[in-house]
Amino acid sequence: MMDSKIISLFFVFLGLNLHAQQFIGNNGIISFFSRAPLENISAINKKVVAAYDATTNDILFQLKIEHFNFHKTLMEEHFNENYLESDIYPNSTFTGKIIEKNNERVTVEGYLTIHGETNKIKVKGKLLENDNSIRINADFVVKLADYKVKIPKIVTYKIAKEIEVIVDIELKEIE
Amino acid sequence: MKKIISVLFIFLTFLVNAQDNLLLLPGHNNEPIYVAYMFKGTKLINGQSVKLTDKGVLQFTIQHRFGALNSGFYNLFGLDDSQVRLGFDYGLKDWLSVGIGRSSTLKTIDINGKIRLKRQSKGNKIFPFTIAANTAVFVKQYKYADTQLESFLFTNQLSFSNQFLFARKINRNLTIQLSPTIVHYNLVESADESNDKFSFGIGARQKLTNHLSVNIECFPQLNDKENNNFFSLGFDIQTGGHVFQLHLSNSPAMIEPGFITKTTGNWLDGDIYFGFNVSRVFSILNK
Repeated sequence: MMDSKIISLFFVFLGLNLHAQQFIGNNGIISFFSRAPLENISAINKKVVAAYDATTNDILFQLKIEHFNFHKTLMEEHFNENYLESDIYPNSTFTGKIIEKNNERVTVEGYLTIHGETNKIKVKGKLLENDNSIRINADFVVKLADYKVKIPKIVTYKIAKEIEVIVDIELKEIE
Repeated sequence: MKKIISVLFIFLTFLVNAQDNLLLLPGHNNEPIYVAYMFKGTKLINGQSVKLTDKGVLQFTIQHRFGALNSGFYNLFGLDDSQVRLGFDYGLKDWLSVGIGRSSTLKTIDINGKIRLKRQSKGNKIFPFTIAANTAVFVKQYKYADTQLESFLFTNQLSFSNQFLFARKINRNLTIQLSPTIVHYNLVESADESNDKFSFGIGARQKLTNHLSVNIECFPQLNDKENNNFFSLGFDIQTGGHVFQLHLSNSPAMIEPGFITKTTGNWLDGDIYFGFNVSRVFSILNK
């Protein structure tokens, strides 16, 4: 009796997973904004990869730093070479879990890694469920100091210390 | 109980696998990783580097070469003399740029095109060098009176430079470049002199900090060597949209037909010319 329950429970899990409770997105968009007295800078990354497992509530984002596009190529060069050092730290990742779900409003908690530094963060966002896909929207603030991104004094009026990040990703069910 | 635990373990394994799978899924892991940001300037010191002005970016360059350091206090150690080259470079594509410039003392206009053929990459696709080719034509200006001479031929005013540039970023701070070069003069000084001069440029850039690097460049001549080989040592200082390149060399010329084969200065004799290149970029087209 006990055995069969366990086995059925196992099959339920397996079944759930077979029934495509995992979602994947390849062309997610993450953009960020720096608002400083002398200059506003924005950049957009349209190749963000995301995965979400509805059974475990695990959620993961990954992007390549060099995929961020700026409207000036020189900004891109400084961003990659001097600030984010993308040759040493090519990726940024977030791994976390949805810990609270209230209709479409969700709270996600997890670890964000940028520039080789990992911090625990808690972000509120939206998770919209459609037929075969879900859409995740969120925005939050990243403090450069938390990720040891050093900004030289000479550009302190051009680069904000806190960067606004906006996430917009559509994930499709895995068939 | 054991079974529960084993099932739990199976489930845990699945979870771990799922995480792994998620981590492995990213579609861009198959892309080659290009090695970028080898040089700060489109010129290493005098010679072209593999860097091109980016697409839609206009670069304005002011180059200055002062007189020889050994010319004494009367000449303020060379600062009284100066020649200047003003140049514009524009990126038509990320892999193609064109430029135009004019040197003062040599009264020469130069036009060049630079194309990047291949990029150094690592990751799934490994390629050891960034390869670029540069071609340039140089037109010496002439006076109206000169054109009235019977011996005057416009084509005699022309010289050309063609080079392949191979650069490799050895580590995040050090980049070296080899630049096999042919300089062709339509008119040379004597009949037994070759019109084609071969040289093998060697250059390197070592970053000291994010904004400062030290550079060297030399162009050993391979045939018909009549003058000294060009050798230069300099620094790149980068501040925002400007790149300042300060250097010492044994030639005051800034164009290939001038410094590769016609360098008369000798470092050991103190024929050292201080000079700088200042470039500023303007984004004409937004990306």
